Amino acid sequence: MTAKKYILLLVLFVSQLILAQHDSINRLQEVLVSDRNLQQFSESQTILQFNDSTLTQNEALLTDLLNFNSTLYFKEYGRGMLSTVAFRGTTASQTAVIWNGININSQMNGSTDFNTISGADFNSVSVKAGGGSVIYGSGAIGGSVHLNTDLAFGNRFENQLKIDYGSFNTQGIHYKTNYTTQKWSTQVGFSRNSSTNDYDYIGRYNWKGEPLWNQNGEYEIIGFNANLAYQLNETNLLQFYSQTSNTDRNTSLVSPTETKSKYVNGFNRNLVSYTGNFNGLTTNLKMAYITEDYHYFPEIESPNYTYGKTTSWISKADLGYHITKNFNLNGIVDYTKTKGYGSGFGDHSRDITSVALLTKQQITDRWQTEYGIRKEFTTNYKSPVLFSVGSTVGFGNFYHLKINLSRNFRIPTFNDLYWEEGGNPDLKPENSYQAEIGNVFSFKKISLTQTFYYYKIDDLLRWVPANNGIWAPQNTDKVNSYGTETLLNWNTHFGENHISCNATYAYTVSENRETKKQLFFVPYHKTTASIAYGYKKAAITYQFLYNGMVFTQSDNDPSKIVPAYTVSNIGIDYDLKFLNTFKIGFQVLNLWNSAYESLENRPMPGRNYNLYLNLKF
Amino acid sequence: MKLTKLLVVALCTSLFISCSDDDDKTNDPKGVYDNGVFILNEGNSSGGSVSFLSDDQSTFTANVYSTVNGNDYIGTYLQHIFFDGDKAYIIAGGSNVINVVNRYTFQLLAKIESGLKTPRYGVVKDGKAYVTNANTYAYANPETGDTDDFIAVIDLKTNKVESTIPLNGTANRIELANNKLYVSEPYSSDAIIVVNPNTNQVESRIAIGYDADTMEEEDGILYVMRSPYGNRSEIVKIKLADNSISKVTLGASLDGAKNLDIENDVIYFTVNTGVYQMNRTATTAPTTPVFEYTSTSDYGKMYGFAVNDGRIYIADGGDFASNSKAYIYSLNGTLEKELTVGVGPNGFYFN
Repeated sequence: MTAKKYILLLVLFVSQLILAQHDSINRLQEVLVSDRNLQQFSESQTILQFNDSTLTQNEALLTDLLNFNSTLYFKEYGRGMLSTVAFRGTTASQTAVIWNGININSQMNGSTDFNTISGADFNSVSVKAGGGSVIYGSGAIGGSVHLNTDLAFGNRFENQLKIDYGSFNTQGIHYKTNYTTQKWSTQVGFSRNSSTNDYDYIGRYNWKGEPLWNQNGEYEIIGFNANLAYQLNETNLLQFYSQTSNTDRNTSLVSPTETKSKYVNGFNRNLVSYTGNFNGLTTNLKMAYITEDYHYFPEIESPNYTYGKTTSWISKADLGYHITKNFNLNGIVDYTKTKGYGSGFGDHSRDITSVALLTKQQITDRWQTEYGIRKEFTTNYKSPVLFSVGSTVGFGNFYHLKINLSRNFRIPTFNDLYWEEGGNPDLKPENSYQAEIGNVFSFKKISLTQTFYYYKIDDLLRWVPANNGIWAPQNTDKVNSYGTETLLNWNTHFGENHISCNATYAYTVSENRETKKQLFFVPYHKTTASIAYGYKKAAITYQFLYNGMVFTQSDNDPSKIVPAYTVSNIGIDYDLKFLNTFKIGFQVLNLWNSAYESLENRPMPGRNYNLYLNLKF
Repeated sequence: MKLTKLLVVALCTSLFISCSDDDDKTNDPKGVYDNGVFILNEGNSSGGSVSFLSDDQSTFTANVYSTVNGNDYIGTYLQHIFFDGDKAYIIAGGSNVINVVNRYTFQLLAKIESGLKTPRYGVVKDGKAYVTNANTYAYANPETGDTDDFIAVIDLKTNKVESTIPLNGTANRIELANNKLYVSEPYSSDAIIVVNPNTNQVESRIAIGYDADTMEEEDGILYVMRSPYGNRSEIVKIKLADNSISKVTLGASLDGAKNLDIENDVIYFTVNTGVYQMNRTATTAPTTPVFEYTSTSDYGKMYGFAVNDGRIYIADGGDFASNSKAYIYSLNGTLEKELTVGVGPNGFYFN
């Protein structure tokens, strides 16, 4: 990143912390966001946004980006393997992942594997802390991660190519092209990330004293996306988004004698959107078709597999109306039909209709409130009335107070309802009441956000052994989750020197109300920090991550933990100034060679290297 | 680091050698873990553990294997321990490994690491171990998942699988009696498979119906507990001389009976949280338990059970995500000891 292009958009919406470097070219254009509600109705919550340049500067897979730059806690089954999240002490299926406004958490297991997502496939990634079920539906309890394709108009033809090569034969190629006119905007991209992933386990030996290494850890992730916008005239806009991806991974072994297995999964997502603006009335119609599938091969050498596939049709109408200059009303109706079939859960379908009403009122210049209510109708489970109430007040330019109360839920998945055997058709959705208070301080080029939250979660689903040796899901657990998040951001420049500092800290208590024990795999403490210094055409970045101890058993046995760890990365890059950008970069990951793991017996690699070339033309 | 490990291994080996040297000379305990009971904890996906309680109940070690062998990885889903001479063999079904330890010191001696595929239970005859292997399962391998189970024959001198006996069926528990091997499996098998260890051939299949699990031989009769879901449980008696069958059918209140164990001519078994007993030769089943214990576990009730030397040992599976409990009762149901063991305790092995 050349120094010239470091721009901080500190206060886009006063209360949102934008943590990114932004291309100055982009700034001048009006970006067509695919998900208007993220900005319109979430001002009383904190959103951390990562833009293009941040996405390409971090490691390819989304786990690394978010792990080193946000308060999200990740549990990885080894490098590049299954990676699930815990946000504010909630479970993996209580963080919603939203693609261009559409909830894409798996219909089969409720969660998203962040190691199947390549960050560079998107123009921006946002992390919204706190409840969002009123807008985004199931799973937006801990928070939501938004993957956005941002299109723009204007006469341009731009290409971007990034090539990576690193330790363990890790290769990445990513290409994106933008061709836009005043009326048309197209963006087509391709990415491929792969690794032999055969790293040594630091300081681990088998009983014969032979060193252990990561066996059967190969992965390959291929993604393709095509996006289009067409401005018919002043009032009518059409957008089309399509993305497809396939992840082919072996599953790394805990001990070399285990049976080698592999897991192949993919998705295909298509979205058509129409937006019309008529004198204060905004119409947005969306139609999406989404599929996901997996094939699990319990033995690599054998052709036998188990599989599952779901397809979803989503239709959504969103009507917004400015009743007065300071009062917005949005009505959203959507209908989702999901079919699922697989070796584990037979053949089922479900229909969900939902109705939501969102309002936003600017009471004074410095005070605004948001209200939302949503109800789903389905025959598969009883659905509660969800709501959200939020308010933002500014006191001078340096302090904003944000308050948000909401009720959110997570619906049972196809596995939960129909798994053979054990699926429980009588499950209720998980239910969460939550409250948060955010304090945002802005002083010159420093921004500090401090949030306190409290969750009361009931009917938490857990698979427990039931009759006849079969595990079955039950609405058993009750959890209180509370804590604090701190986000700090400082960007400055003097002369040709540019400095950017970011830090996050999360303190999380997530306690089973009956046993008073911390949920396993929720760290009390997590902190990240990064500092970037740019001078003329060169830049150096240092990233730091501290992840506190986690319990691995529900009884909090102090001898059954994953110990705390710290990891640091350092990267340098230099722009040779051919073409628009011709950047060559080198990263040392896990600089201090720390032996760490986020899950027992799943060691992560020691010091390793990555070389990259980033061209724009 | 590597050097340290090697030193540890060397030290372990020398300790073991000195212990075995002592064996022949004294009547003292042959090691810290002589005269007591091992409790096998199958564990979760991060690995299992073994707990130990001395016979006088004064010494308890929650995790013997780690205490002795440091951070060596014992493996996942520990299923069974069997003994031969001064060695104990710990089967880790999820890791395709058998850990060979000195049964008195628990020092790791070797690992059997190849030729196993989801190993389950084992017995020893004439220096060879016969270990059932579930191999693949029908949910993922519909064609041969229910027919590819086998017995691995392991030479205990070399700790290598020297041959396999295909069973053309499913296999789980294995008993040695009458110089033959008897194999049961509770989900997909309708017969006891009889294997001749001299020829390594399946000799016959004794059709007794599905859902047969625990078994024990006494006086030439193999007693097998069968508990068909939604139907009456029964104790099937197979006369090994001619494979003829008789049975005792249990009452409807004893549906789901399991954990058959014979001690001093008394058959013990469990239903839910209750312990039942009947004379070995009785032709009618009891209707009331000797005693019951309290469990909040849905599936893990009586997850492990044994009767030995005048005591009844019960392991409760708990929630399979935290350390669980083992209980020791007198034969008439007086609680003598309650222990916090590891995750998913499933068996007791007396040393």
